Amino acid sequence: MSGSGKERPVLRVRDIGVTFTGTRGTVMAVEGVTFDLARGEVVGLVGESGSGKSTVGLAALGLHDPARTQVTGSIEIGGTEIVGAAEDTLRPLRGNRVAMVFQDALAALSPFHGVGAQLAEAYRIHHRSASRAEARDRAADMLERVGIPAARARDFPHQFSGGMRQRVMIAMALINSPDVLVADEPTTALDARVQRQVLDLLDELRHEHGTAVVLVTHDVGVVAHATDRVLVMRGGHLLEEGPTRRVLTTPEHPYTRALIGAAPTLTSEPGTRLPTVDEPEPKPRTAARAPVTATGRLLAEITGLHVEFGGGRTLLGRRREPARAVRGVSLHVREGETLGLVGESGSGKSTTARVLAGLQRPTAGEVRFEGRDISGAAGDTALRRELSREVQLVFQDPYASLNPRRTVEQIVTTPLRVHTEADAAERRERAAGLLEQVGLSAADLDRYPHEFSGGQRQRVGIARALALRPRLIIADEPVSALDVSVQAQVLNLLMDLRDELGLSLLFVSHDLAVVRHFCDRVAVMRHGEIVETGTRDEVFERPGAAYTRDLLAAMV
Amino acid sequence: MPLYLLRRALQAVVVLLAISATAFALFYAAPSDPAVIACGPKCDASQIAAVRDSMGLDQPILAQYADYVRGLFAGRTINDVDGTPIACDAPCLGYSYALHEPVRAAITSRFPVTLSLAGGALAVIVVFGIGAGFLSALRRGRLTDRLLSGFTLVGASVQIYFLGYALQYLLVYRTGWFALPGYTSPGDDIGAWVAGLLLPCLVLGFVNAAVFARLSRAQMLEVMHEGYVRTARGKGLSPLRAHLKYTSRGAAAPLVQLLGLEVGALLGGAFITETVFGLSGVGKLAVDAVVQNDLPTVVGTVLLAAFFVVVFVALADLVVAWLDPRVRLA
Repeated sequence: MSGSGKERPVLRVRDIGVTFTGTRGTVMAVEGVTFDLARGEVVGLVGESGSGKSTVGLAALGLHDPARTQVTGSIEIGGTEIVGAAEDTLRPLRGNRVAMVFQDALAALSPFHGVGAQLAEAYRIHHRSASRAEARDRAADMLERVGIPAARARDFPHQFSGGMRQRVMIAMALINSPDVLVADEPTTALDARVQRQVLDLLDELRHEHGTAVVLVTHDVGVVAHATDRVLVMRGGHLLEEGPTRRVLTTPEHPYTRALIGAAPTLTSEPGTRLPTVDEPEPKPRTAARAPVTATGRLLAEITGLHVEFGGGRTLLGRRREPARAVRGVSLHVREGETLGLVGESGSGKSTTARVLAGLQRPTAGEVRFEGRDISGAAGDTALRRELSREVQLVFQDPYASLNPRRTVEQIVTTPLRVHTEADAAERRERAAGLLEQVGLSAADLDRYPHEFSGGQRQRVGIARALALRPRLIIADEPVSALDVSVQAQVLNLLMDLRDELGLSLLFVSHDLAVVRHFCDRVAVMRHGEIVETGTRDEVFERPGAAYTRDLLAAMV
Repeated sequence: MPLYLLRRALQAVVVLLAISATAFALFYAAPSDPAVIACGPKCDASQIAAVRDSMGLDQPILAQYADYVRGLFAGRTINDVDGTPIACDAPCLGYSYALHEPVRAAITSRFPVTLSLAGGALAVIVVFGIGAGFLSALRRGRLTDRLLSGFTLVGASVQIYFLGYALQYLLVYRTGWFALPGYTSPGDDIGAWVAGLLLPCLVLGFVNAAVFARLSRAQMLEVMHEGYVRTARGKGLSPLRAHLKYTSRGAAAPLVQLLGLEVGALLGGAFITETVFGLSGVGKLAVDAVVQNDLPTVVGTVLLAAFFVVVFVALADLVVAWLDPRVRLA
């Protein structure tokens, strides 16, 4: 539903530039961005991290700190200039004519106040004559409208689920029926099914209130699902814009093409090399991945696994109800096979992976690696040490999982130092080889993690995992924290390494499309149980469990 | 919540018992003999032996300690030097042979001074310490911030005995702007009470305010960039109101905890300030008792100070839990 061209746009952005001044000089975050937003229209502002898309969103509310940020150009909301305007001009607009929804609702909502009070405050700021009771009623109505019982108005944000919190945030932003809503990655932190619900709710409310939306996102799927028009940003510049359908089907700019192609979908060819920004048209792989035979040697096996947390005794000796994270999971990984473990947050998939890595003590059940019982590894240093020669981990967050005070050489050679007799020179040589294997160079050995980009750090993490030539690699959401094009690079790397080295992998992910692209077999987890397991084609083409079908249907 | 209070109360009892036992044991390990001190310099050996017997000092130390603890809860009868019994009601802190009065009476008579001093200093700490930190954070990098930061640095580096004597000389003796420091009961003359304590409270408060100014500034600057403060501004709140309602709430927890410790410590007595300004408070009582080997008074004042710290630290935790609903009392 595109607004008519004659009507005055509710948001008019002309040639804006945003410069941050920090201790290391000034950085141009956004330059020369121009666009209009018509009444009721939804425009997607898409780009990778550092592209300046969120910066544009904040500038629309005039929320940049003037002491450290310089904004130039012109932004008009309903005819009022925002850039350079005094606080007194901006205050009546913020939350009233233009409102904002942030990515992380847990951080964006006050932890100290009930959600009802926070909504009521948003109403009263702009309705001075409204009584407290009126504002409270209005807040209750709005909460009911987004599907949260008014009885929970006194509850605090941390008492709600992620999806409910984001609905509270949306209710608060729309309580004054603004003309413009800036939604900054509103669904990025949510599971697929919840994301779908929140996007649909946003769409309904937008119609009711006649609000135009700037939807800031990195996710091409969200853009396709929810926007009329899309603006593609990169490095602070606007690269391409047009109606969503046109841009997604026939993108003009190679970057846009790469951005769209980089994320695997439920229709892309599994196992193919994914296009990246640097290499928009990748060479096809020489040989298709041979189907892994179901008769390969059994490498790792979990039978009837239970893991409970808590459950200690209270002061009075009563036993607390434990949190049952994993309830009777059985799975196996064969030699040379990649098993995908999918599920939403809290489904127990990471806990299962940690048990297999010997990092978590199981409450009950059998865990075997090459036929040997390793269920006690979490409490037995010698056994865990032995196990870690054979089983290595790649973690989700390449920023948190590398020691910032160690050089890349120290990081990559630590497993060699612990487990092998190799001397320093041999270790360095092996580390150089590993770095080249993951697409870095020997010159990177003496650098520190902060000198690398997120994708490069994840390569360092993979090199560390490969150092001992382990039999099994457990990768827990290894690409979830990365931008799509970087995700594509890392997935391409993992696919190459898998072919080259014949690796066996347990690949934990919430992203169905990535799992479909990368894995041979799939196990679907929910509430600590496996609801379905089968080959990739069985699970994705002929899903047996209703839950799997729900997950697939929720993909945007 | 009731469970929490019970647990904290038990914890407090254990801490207080441990402290009183330590004070008791340390004192008996000292080379001086309490009986000699109690009896006075003119006693001969048989008189000292008689005193030792009547004071119960010939009992094993554990029995003496048990006796003391019993007195705390149930009261007891104490023999004076000459053997005359003195009734001591619970909570009995013992009898000071040096002061010739029950320890509790000695403390009670001096406590109003300490309470007034602590209250005044606390007001200075909250207003000048936390207030300055708040203002500094709001005006970060500007002249106000630099002036206040410099001022609080002076407060952190200067010693009370220097600042106290210097200001007393300048503001009292040279210019007469302040009244001569001293304590008058507020019941008798409330004006004189304020005038006499104004300078001591300002000095004690100022020197302790520096820590609070620095901590509150750092806390505010950290919380200022939290998402919920940005949301508040996005709703249309002015920066000042957003900081008053949201930033200060987020910044408060460590300040409240430090304040709890500070109040506890102030109520235990401020020896240097009391000495500098010639006030007769609990701090001076405690130090004098140590110097004179007056065991019952030492244990009593140490116990009182520990009691206040334990109580106010627990109270601070309650306040923090009330400020932030995510905190679970455990």
